[in-house]
Amino acid sequence: MFKSMLEAFLNLFRPIRTLKYPAEEIVLPSGYRGLIEYGIDACIFCDKCEKVCPPGAILFYQNEDGTKTYRYNPWLCIYCGECVRACPKPEEALWQSETKQLSALKEEGANEGWFVWEEACKQSREAYATAKKSAKIQNKSEE
Amino acid sequence: MKKTIQIPLGSQHISLLEPIRFKFECENEKIIGVDADVGFVHRGVELACTRSFEFKQVGYVVARVCGLCAITHSLSYTLAVEKLLGYVANDRIKYLRMLMVELDRIHSHMLCLAHTAENAGFEALFMQIMGDRELIMDVQEAISGNRVQFDYISIGGVNRDLTPELVAMIHKNLGVLTSKIDALIGLFDNNWSLSLKYKGVGVLRLEDAYTYNALGPLARAAGLATDVRAETSDFPYEDIGYKMILESSGDIHARNFLRLREIVNSITMCQNIVNNLPVGEIQEKAKGKPNGEAVVRVEAPRGELFYLVRGSGQNMLDRVRIKTPTFSAIPAMIEVFKGAEYADAPAILASFDPCMSCTAK
Ligand code: SF4
Ligand code: SF4
Repeated sequence: MFKSMLEAFLNLFRPIRTLKYPAEEIVLPSGYRGLIEYGIDACIFCDKCEKVCPPGAILFYQNEDGTKTYRYNPWLCIYCGECVRACPKPEEALWQSETKQLSALKEEGANEGWFVWEEACKQSREAYATAKKSAKIQNKSEE
Repeated sequence: MKKTIQIPLGSQHISLLEPIRFKFECENEKIIGVDADVGFVHRGVELACTRSFEFKQVGYVVARVCGLCAITHSLSYTLAVEKLLGYVANDRIKYLRMLMVELDRIHSHMLCLAHTAENAGFEALFMQIMGDRELIMDVQEAISGNRVQFDYISIGGVNRDLTPELVAMIHKNLGVLTSKIDALIGLFDNNWSLSLKYKGVGVLRLEDAYTYNALGPLARAAGLATDVRAETSDFPYEDIGYKMILESSGDIHARNFLRLREIVNSITMCQNIVNNLPVGEIQEKAKGKPNGEAVVRVEAPRGELFYLVRGSGQNMLDRVRIKTPTFSAIPAMIEVFKGAEYADAPAILASFDPCMSCTAK
């Protein structure tokens, strides 16, 4: 009883425990799992990152000439790092940075914009597949 | 004339962390009947695990069942899948997994202690314990790269290794925490107003603990020796200094004390793990697709966590069943409430350390 009263009294002279955020920056420990970054030059478009991603935060758009466009949703990503572990060229094509993502603004369309992109990716693949098929048939008939 | 009145507690109540509703049937101040409703935060995780995600991704989904014992959920699921794949992790992986689980236990127990103190009207102690808890949260953040969602365990290993700086940090923070916990033990034992609120309140007798299938700290505080860590051989707990801790009186004081002593034991275990870490790879290949059915039990901070995983050699699983400790403890909880004073209900409830979002999943 007296011990806790003494403690309470001494606490008046002890340093403050809380942080003065946002006046002072919070120092994150090194190795913080932040945003995924992508280097198009090293990527071989194997789609492995897209397949393993649990929430589906990486999606490739299939262009008609066979190349692919990468797009990443930083708000959907859970920063698990599975994509980097799956990538055959980690650190060159795909790596995890220590940057923290800020919350999305309405204009950025974190949800709606992404739904549109998902749909577009799906259609682009179907269109590419049918185009390839018909090209094959044409090739055969020409022979 | 009806002699009893009904008083609800929840689903929204200042003493509750998460939504649960108790309907107390009270006679004057005494509770004589209890009805519990837990399904307020149902999110359909089990179904999502079998419909929307492949088995390699499910580990990250079940980690989101609970914010406090995320690591136990992903560990249980991973163990179940590894059993189906016929893969046994090497010692280093096992030790690192145990380290995270024990750190999780420490901070979860501290949250419960803080909350019990707050619900007994001791707000300053709540803040003090929560402040000390940051020591462990910082260690977990440094190890896994995130404060709450660790995403540390994956099928076939763990995602990150310990560096020498991390080892130093673990030793430093655990050392500081040991002295803080010692002070807390003295406080919980000797403080007069705390003992007034805790001693002899919310008693669960040993027979009742047995009959109503109590588990985890709730059962051990009543003297029932049940701990999955001692009952299964998935992890070498004996090698790192695990001790079964038991109390006998079964009241809130016993539960608090049991948690404090378990924290001390967990700190010792963590230090032993870090000091005796075996060498080896932290990621190994676990090939194949899950075929068959596996059951895994892991001791979560609140008691036994049960996972059933069934697969048929496909990427998608057939069934994932999660039985959380709070769900299994509800009959015992209801028993404890009967005969207690209504004013004590919040403190009793907090001393169970219920995790509603786990239970409703
Ligand atoms: S870190 Fe995880 S969630 Fe984020 S893009 Fe990679 S795999 Fe997807
Ligand atoms: S896994 Fe790597 S190489 Fe393959 S598509 Fe993704 S970023 Fe490119």
